[in-house]
Amino acid sequence: MNSRRVFLRNGALALFAMGLGGVPTFISRAADSRKLRSLYKKNKILICIFQRGAMDGLMAVTPFEDQYLRKARPTLFMSAAKSANKPLIDLDGRFGLHPSMSAFENLFKEKRLAIVHGVGSPNTTRSHFDAQDYMESGTPFSKGTPSGWLNRAVGLLGHEVPTPFQAVSLTTSLPRSFYGDNAALAISNLSDFTVQLRGNPMGANTAAKSFEELYDQTSSDLLNKTGKESFEAMKILKTADVKNYKPVAGAVYPMSPLGNSLKQIAQLVKMDVGLEIAFAECGGWDTHYNQGTEIGTFSRNVSDLSNAIAAFWTDMAQYQDDVEIMTMTEFGRTVHQNGSNGTDHGRGSCMFIVGNDINGGIVHGKVPELSIENLEDRRDLPVTTDFRAVFNEVATAHLKIKDSGKLFPEWKGSSIGLVKKTG
Amino acid sequence: MKKIVQTFSLLFLLGTTGVLVSSFQAHNGTGFRFPYQQAGLTDREAASHLLSRFSFGATPGQLEDVVKIGAEKWFQDQLTGSLPDDKVEAMLASFESLKMTNEEIVQTYPKAGQVLRMAIKDGIVDRDSARIDKKDSKDAIRNYMQEKGMKPQAELLRQLVNQKILRAAFSENQLKEVMTDFWFNHFNVAVGKGGVQQFVTSYERDVIRPNSLGKFETLLLATAKSPAMLTYLDNNKSTVNEENMMQGQKKPMKRRKNDMPDSMMNGNAKIKKPKMQGLNENYAREIMELHTLGVDGGYTQADVTEAARVLTGWSLNPEIEYSLRIRNKVNEQRLNRLGFVYDDNFLFAANKHDKGEKKVLGQSFAAGGGYEEGVKLIHLLATHSSTAKFIAKKLAVRFVSDNPSQSLVDKMAKTFLEKDGDIKEVLITMVSAAEFWSKKVLREKTKSPFELAISTVRTTGAKVQAPFQLYQWINKMGQKVYNYQAPTGFPDKGQYWINSGSLLNRMNFGLALASGRVPGVKMDLLALNANHEPESAAAALKVYSRILLPERDVEETIKRLTPMLNDPEMMDKIDQAAGKTATPSSKMDDEDDMMMDDEKPKGKGGKGPQKINIKKGGADVRLLAGNNTMLAQVVGIIIGSPEFQRR
Repeated sequence: MNSRRVFLRNGALALFAMGLGGVPTFISRAADSRKLRSLYKKNKILICIFQRGAMDGLMAVTPFEDQYLRKARPTLFMSAAKSANKPLIDLDGRFGLHPSMSAFENLFKEKRLAIVHGVGSPNTTRSHFDAQDYMESGTPFSKGTPSGWLNRAVGLLGHEVPTPFQAVSLTTSLPRSFYGDNAALAISNLSDFTVQLRGNPMGANTAAKSFEELYDQTSSDLLNKTGKESFEAMKILKTADVKNYKPVAGAVYPMSPLGNSLKQIAQLVKMDVGLEIAFAECGGWDTHYNQGTEIGTFSRNVSDLSNAIAAFWTDMAQYQDDVEIMTMTEFGRTVHQNGSNGTDHGRGSCMFIVGNDINGGIVHGKVPELSIENLEDRRDLPVTTDFRAVFNEVATAHLKIKDSGKLFPEWKGSSIGLVKKTG
Repeated sequence: MKKIVQTFSLLFLLGTTGVLVSSFQAHNGTGFRFPYQQAGLTDREAASHLLSRFSFGATPGQLEDVVKIGAEKWFQDQLTGSLPDDKVEAMLASFESLKMTNEEIVQTYPKAGQVLRMAIKDGIVDRDSARIDKKDSKDAIRNYMQEKGMKPQAELLRQLVNQKILRAAFSENQLKEVMTDFWFNHFNVAVGKGGVQQFVTSYERDVIRPNSLGKFETLLLATAKSPAMLTYLDNNKSTVNEENMMQGQKKPMKRRKNDMPDSMMNGNAKIKKPKMQGLNENYAREIMELHTLGVDGGYTQADVTEAARVLTGWSLNPEIEYSLRIRNKVNEQRLNRLGFVYDDNFLFAANKHDKGEKKVLGQSFAAGGGYEEGVKLIHLLATHSSTAKFIAKKLAVRFVSDNPSQSLVDKMAKTFLEKDGDIKEVLITMVSAAEFWSKKVLREKTKSPFELAISTVRTTGAKVQAPFQLYQWINKMGQKVYNYQAPTGFPDKGQYWINSGSLLNRMNFGLALASGRVPGVKMDLLALNANHEPESAAAALKVYSRILLPERDVEETIKRLTPMLNDPEMMDKIDQAAGKTATPSSKMDDEDDMMMDDEKPKGKGGKGPQKINIKKGGADVRLLAGNNTMLAQVVGIIIGSPEFQRR
């Protein structure tokens, strides 16, 4: 794996010159300007993972002492008792992590992993579509907000970086979180980021050169500038040899869409291409039927989630100070199980945040005793923490964003102490 | 004719003003004239610009046709929108859902949950086993659906998407399709939201398309009452708030698990207590912010809340879902007396309506206004001066440039107000304005992925047998048609469409399509050049640049690319590589096969790669049409070029 810094050190300019045609302009621009410093400077990187379908937070992180929950879930409740077949992983005497999330156990003990429980939206919709829409726009009462919160975050970073990789979503199309005026890239597979002519690599090469010539001469500023970026990005990825990526020893990504997405985000991080905000998603959380317990649908999902995140964290090795990972899901699920061994749409769920500068090893937030009168609408884990409080604190602290009023325009709240106070 | 031309030139030579010249040109009784000559454009340039704005691309020969009949006459025909469209109708004939009512679609393409409920009710699967994702019960449900004549919802979307692509590519009434696309995006709904998908076919067909060139108010009212919009922006769920309930109105009751309307639950048609969830402001906010006044249109949060109260009770006629008449003669009279209004799929549910007095934008709505006060609100919004400005600007952005001049927008807004929101009149004002023809705005718009794909098909005269394949590319290039999540619709500006990833996909789209790797879309590249074989790759570039980019300056393109294409070594290598891997053009995906029997490729330029020999510097360069050859590559490069991304 080559990084841009390594290139510059080792005379990569020459190497590029032999490539598809010239030195990437942002490198040459940087090499002879003061921008060099800012390029060398490591940016902080926030990785957001959207769990689409609404994760059952009470099964992921169970208040296992709660007798109401045990009664409400006759076949879904799991025990932390050592005698159990696969007990919950006791985090703090009150909350237990699903046994399939053992990859998170050490992260929590090392205080790298924080959990926020009872998180959700102040808008009580239980529609996936609407709740995701509100969470991603960051405005739970305004449908028409054109921008997504992560796109606004890009705008608030306060520096323009001449890179197409500042905000990248590992999805086929831009997620709602990325809608907006600031440049963001959606790409599900880095190795597709090239001019393609199947079965005719020579032809593809000529086509690439031709396109580069044409975009270089066009009178449209937009096409000219973006064309340059495309070809620069292409060259970087080509040189980085993304297909043969080798993660750090011990970082084993699950063979899953999420594992694959996080692996590619890791590649981008290590390439030092100016990545600051990354987005990935995973599905299958809408567990109305046969949710399962130690094994089954839910177990597979949390196993994938925790293993992918843990592998990414290991893979980050010397980059761990720079990256932070935050999960999110549109709402939680009913406290009571339904008639088909599953759970229906509810309210509060939980989030996982991994990073070196967070107050880890703690289950943040408030989860009351789950007696029926304590529940929201007498059925759901109440939302005790507005998701924007978490998003805002993580994003502003980690990405050093100043103007939080613009990030969540309708929100006036305070942070919950998730991030360490040190500068 | 000769005499006219002489007189014409004489007048011109005598220094007569351009006005006289152009008034002379008010064509064919259209009553309007386009001032393109004053802007320094030739007839061909004007026709090219007109086609770039009001069609999805010029088909081979279309530019000449427009010049021949005259720009004004062409535009007039497009405004009327009733040119015979037998060809496209024949292509669509096999898509059964396109002719179905909402009720029929709900029955034929039920939501997965609906199917399950019915299957359980009919004893096909039992409640417990059905919910276990077992193969047996899946099979049982599949058989059950087949027996009942039900089809998966994915098929519904496929037919809808295919019809949009085919109409855009082949309809003679291009402006109608362009306007349908515009208004759908303006009044956006997304199939991704549960319950919306089933209503989108009728939404586009019955609400948007017939009103796309009519009166804005009619269109606005139709969207307000449409099942798609009522579902998408939740007005269907909006009910009077408890504290606003008038005497005699029933207390709200707890939400039922089952979604059946209460009147159905009791097996009779008594009007029972409705589900009362309270006021939902979504639609009221967006009708002001996005559909009419615009975000700076001068309304307040109080106006939104009050408008939401006005619109309480505007809901879906539950008869859609259950395909049963709830009403009978006896209770219909009673319903009418209570103020219920049934209008096809729309229901004004008087028992959910807030009967109190309201005030929106300074206008009072007296208590007890019922259904009519909603109509009054819509009239107020549709005729508001902020709406005139907002709609005028949006149209100018679509048809002129991303940043249209204020003077143009003002003219259009004025017409909007004077002509009672007549969309045709607003368009005529726009095209009759000098700003529309300014050289500054030519080619200033960036094609959306949909426009790129369709213009490629039109410009190259490609045959489309599997439109869904194009949809997948359109998707990949960044436009999930019918599924833009936010009610804003896709942003209509170049910056939204162009980023480094989407741009590469556009280039790859050009290469894939030209080399025959988009299954079910076939180009006959030689036919475009009257079956004349280009002398060389460099010649191919010259010839095809002019065919595919008429009235554009392609000199720079040719200058840049020619040296590369003339490199004999490279040519040979490409040719060798192509020869090694040449495969018959892609196999059609059966699922997406949309046979057009009379359109089946036949004879020359049809089946299989076509082999021709071209002399180039003594060496034979094979050109295989529709394959990995230099000609395909040259065309692919032109499609992926920056110039082709603009319109």
